[in-house]
Amino acid sequence: MLSVSNLDVRYGQFRAVQGVSMNIDQGDIVSLIGANGAGKSTLLRAIAGALPIHSGRVSFKQHDVTTTSSSALVKQGLSLVPEGRRLFADMTVEENLLLGTTVKRSGDWSIERIFATFPNLVKRRHAKTGNLSGGEQQATAIGRALMSNPDCLILDEVSLGLSPLVVDQVYASIDSLKDAGTTILLVEQDLERAIRFSHRAICMLEGKIVLDKLTNDTNKEEITHAYFGLQQSKHQEASQ
Amino acid sequence: MMNSLVQAILLGGYYALIACGLAFMFQVMRIINLAHGSLAILSAYLVWEITDALALSPFISVLMILPIMAIIGLLLQRVILERATKGGELLPVLTTFGLAIVIDNLLFQQFGANTRSLSPYLGDLSWESYEVFGLWIGKLPVIVLITAIVIIGGLDLILRFTPLGRQIRATAFDPDTAGLVGIDARKIAGISAAIAMMTVAISGTALGLRGTFDAYAGGPQLLFAFEATIIGGASSLWGVFMGGIILAIAQSIGALIHPQGFLLGGHFMFLIFLFARIYFNRDVFSLKHWLSKRNEKENAA
Repeated sequence: MLSVSNLDVRYGQFRAVQGVSMNIDQGDIVSLIGANGAGKSTLLRAIAGALPIHSGRVSFKQHDVTTTSSSALVKQGLSLVPEGRRLFADMTVEENLLLGTTVKRSGDWSIERIFATFPNLVKRRHAKTGNLSGGEQQATAIGRALMSNPDCLILDEVSLGLSPLVVDQVYASIDSLKDAGTTILLVEQDLERAIRFSHRAICMLEGKIVLDKLTNDTNKEEITHAYFGLQQSKHQEASQ
Repeated sequence: MMNSLVQAILLGGYYALIACGLAFMFQVMRIINLAHGSLAILSAYLVWEITDALALSPFISVLMILPIMAIIGLLLQRVILERATKGGELLPVLTTFGLAIVIDNLLFQQFGANTRSLSPYLGDLSWESYEVFGLWIGKLPVIVLITAIVIIGGLDLILRFTPLGRQIRATAFDPDTAGLVGIDARKIAGISAAIAMMTVAISGTALGLRGTFDAYAGGPQLLFAFEATIIGGASSLWGVFMGGIILAIAQSIGALIHPQGFLLGGHFMFLIFLFARIYFNRDVFSLKHWLSKRNEKENAA
């Protein structure tokens, strides 16, 4: 479904992502874990076509998309919910959601279904998104991405700045995507939730992947070690 | 006095017409197109050529140059502005300034120093008037004012309620995120430039119908458009419409005070608004702000 090989992304001289390779199959649920500055967002934005790739390859559905623009990727079925929501603050919830239909991909998602999935948005339908709470904004951002009926949904920092209750709601709604066979790649800081929710965990440290395992084969302790870079060499072997 | 006010409002319609394209491009693409006035003169010449060669009514010729100007807008975006914006905020200003000089001089070379006007092709319409309460109101300025209202209203409706309008607003707000939502920012910029140039075509024609133009008439038109945009606030097209009318009223008052005060009055008003915009909260200029304030007072009472 989504394959990344030897990816390098740079900000000037700084190599934010270094030689990253990974393969994600159709229907996989993958958690990307790592400290601030590990290169998670950079990796995801580069995959989604929002950042130029220095070297390496990205392919999506067996097509090379290394230099494809973000808008063309959305059309092919890959949507990113960016970190910090990045809503169009002077537009209403409904307008933000309608923007998701720009690429006109056919599928099950409609405005009504988004409101059924995120009931907290119903009352806010005609409110400017700049005035919403964090949870409502996150729901709108996810809804906007879903409106393009993606085959692969990438969620950067799903639960950042949300109360635990709202995080539960958001996850419950993403859960329904699992059954639909949507491939999901998400960044989650809560390890237990990441292990519980996803099939696979990928841990990044200083721009490199230091752990890539099925969640059934790993545990919180091992991921924590990879997260902080303890026994790094051993885990790299293990991930081969 | 009453007469000058009415004439000023009609003139303001023309200023609004020429300013709306400049404001639209600034809103959507964050570009101040200094070739705006010269492009308006270019379209006036195109209309004049077609009208003269084919013996058509200027109102039909302008329909014919709309697609031409739309294509010029698209090319302007693809060939010049797209590259210029990559070089920072100042570069598009310098580039369009250069483009204005090139257009002006090419027009001068082609058409010479003679002034031209489209009004001879209008027949009686160029001087026909309505008599309202003892005031004579020219039919043509009324047509221009109505055109301005229709175009600004139409653009406003497109921006608010159509998918294209939403995409344009989203691209203006945050081009990176617009891409992540699936909006092709390049396509949107091209369409916006084409729309802006179509308004330029109409305003250039309006100038030619109302009076005369020559190859170097672009500069003053740009100045009027710019002043109307700043007075009205670049964020709303209806604001720009009001800006055009305020500018024209200020010019008329200037002309009443002193025979040569026409332009000075406009500049003075422009400066007042410019400094007021810098020093005061932007809410002060919004009608909504004052209406809600009044409501609050009434509620309190």
